Amino acid sequence: MDNRLLHTPEGVRDIYGDELQKKLKLERILHKKVASFGYHDIETPSFEYFDIFSREIGTTPSREIYKFFDSENNTLALRPDFTPGVARATNKYFMEDIHPIRLCYMGNTFSNRSDLQGKLKEVTELGVEYMREPSVDADAEMIDMTVELLKTAGLDEFQICIGTVEYFRGLCEAAGLDRETEEALSDHIRNKNYFGIQDVLNDVKMPADIKKTLTSFSDYFGNVDVLDEAAERVKKVPRSLAAIDRLKALYEKLKIYGVQNYLTFDLGMISQHDYYTGILFQAYTFGTGEPIVRGGRYDNLLGRFGKPGAAVGFTVVVDQLLNTLNQQHIVIDRDCNNALVVYDRDSFEAAVRESGSLRLDGVHAEMILNSPDMTQASINAYAQEIHAAKIYRIRGGKTEVQKI
Amino acid sequence: MRYLTFALTKGRLADKTLEALEKIGIGCEEMHDKTSRKLIFVNEEKKLKFFLAKGPDVPTYVEHGAADIGVTGKDIIMEENRQIYEVLDLGFGKCRMCVCGPAEAGSLLKHQEMIKVASKYPRIARDYFHNKKHQTVDIIKLNGSIELAPIVGLTDVIVDIVETGTTLKENGLQVLEEVCPLSARMVVNQVSMRMETERIRWIINELKKNLN
Repeated sequence: MDNRLLHTPEGVRDIYGDELQKKLKLERILHKKVASFGYHDIETPSFEYFDIFSREIGTTPSREIYKFFDSENNTLALRPDFTPGVARATNKYFMEDIHPIRLCYMGNTFSNRSDLQGKLKEVTELGVEYMREPSVDADAEMIDMTVELLKTAGLDEFQICIGTVEYFRGLCEAAGLDRETEEALSDHIRNKNYFGIQDVLNDVKMPADIKKTLTSFSDYFGNVDVLDEAAERVKKVPRSLAAIDRLKALYEKLKIYGVQNYLTFDLGMISQHDYYTGILFQAYTFGTGEPIVRGGRYDNLLGRFGKPGAAVGFTVVVDQLLNTLNQQHIVIDRDCNNALVVYDRDSFEAAVRESGSLRLDGVHAEMILNSPDMTQASINAYAQEIHAAKIYRIRGGKTEVQKI
Repeated sequence: MRYLTFALTKGRLADKTLEALEKIGIGCEEMHDKTSRKLIFVNEEKKLKFFLAKGPDVPTYVEHGAADIGVTGKDIIMEENRQIYEVLDLGFGKCRMCVCGPAEAGSLLKHQEMIKVASKYPRIARDYFHNKKHQTVDIIKLNGSIELAPIVGLTDVIVDIVETGTTLKENGLQVLEEVCPLSARMVVNQVSMRMETERIRWIINELKKNLN
């Protein structure tokens, strides 16, 4: 049926009933958790000037951004992610602050990706940004929060994988690679295509020890011990060595938080975007083919909006997390306290009073005017559908309470 | 232990893959029964599941995590361009992606004039002409018997897989340029790689040993 009045476009959908109850509950517990770390809420607009999300600043390819024009012919964009908007707002409103800024947000993001791949074009994201704090302490807080969030959501088997862009960039710099080779190499390393790395490097001239290090990226993936091994191979590359030292320092801090059991390291986790400047991390669990949390450090971003400053943050796609919880059969309790108040036409006043007092007690009282079409069975069925615990049947001004 | 699920490409590639897997001791008896109508084959002892899919669907199953590991051709991986790890060149199913056409079409590739190209692989064709040759092309997607296109005058050249070149020769066509070599590749879902690191790494390393 091709009825445009009934169907939503490909990639977006209605969420209602039980599913929405669960989603809202999940949003509440996630938000409560980030707020407990001292993060302050911020709302940025759903659309902004396209330049805010352009290639130099964002991570979403231009063709995946929904664009439109305003009456003055400026190009506007529906936000594909929050970070650039939040960074803009930080520099606009907190320009003079000398303290670090902690912000959190929740809302929908939009990406115009290709159809028929089973992926949503509008999703709800929750995220945090910790700005103007370059220390490893800030990195550690991000990882700890990620662990806490996933535990709060009810997950128990998951892993946080930590990488850094600096190790790889240090090696490329030391090898004197041109931009094109570096990109080809980074593609292969990111895709764990280790034989591809070999192919790219075959005809490139560079010091033998660096070539060996670059072709051994498969070894730099595992528990914390891989850091020692990776450090051993870059003794003469200060930038890469510094990157490892930073990860080791991070690991020590995370031991203090007591979350070391959730960690793995992967120096091959690098980004195709210049956007990232330090650590990168992702969280994985069973029941989903994609990471459920993505984050990293981007110390160059704030500078694009006037005042340079460090920044680190992460996002969780709430819809995806909800899906994963369902896949793993983890139950989210709905907070529900519903009741039906079914009244006959002559008992309106009694029904209003009854409902009013129920609402004062925190019950969600739904008033229903009885009609000849309704039967006791249909009312019971509806009560079950909305998870109402009780029906208040009001006839001739008198209330009869029926339990379900 | 969780099941590790393999998506294999229906046909010759699946036979070769099973052969390679059997060599490292992780075969699946059930799959040898050609009369079976089962869709999923299980190795209970090693906790493995296998299923057969059309080549272009293998990266889709793996990207979504419906399969942890897949085996398919490099051509398909390039064309589908999914978020998956390409971890191993299995060395079999070797062939080449080529630009082919009648000998006289060769000169069309030397200048940057607009030409018509037929292919089952529009992404690979576009990437090659735009990014490597900087030539503007009009690509027409076909679903089979691509060789027909230049013969009946639909396009100037084709971009297609060449194994022996016999079909081309019999139809008065030839390889004009090579786009890239192809072979069977093992691909892995990014989450599976992290959550099942030990088992997947073992498989990769064992297969690699057998290749050399």
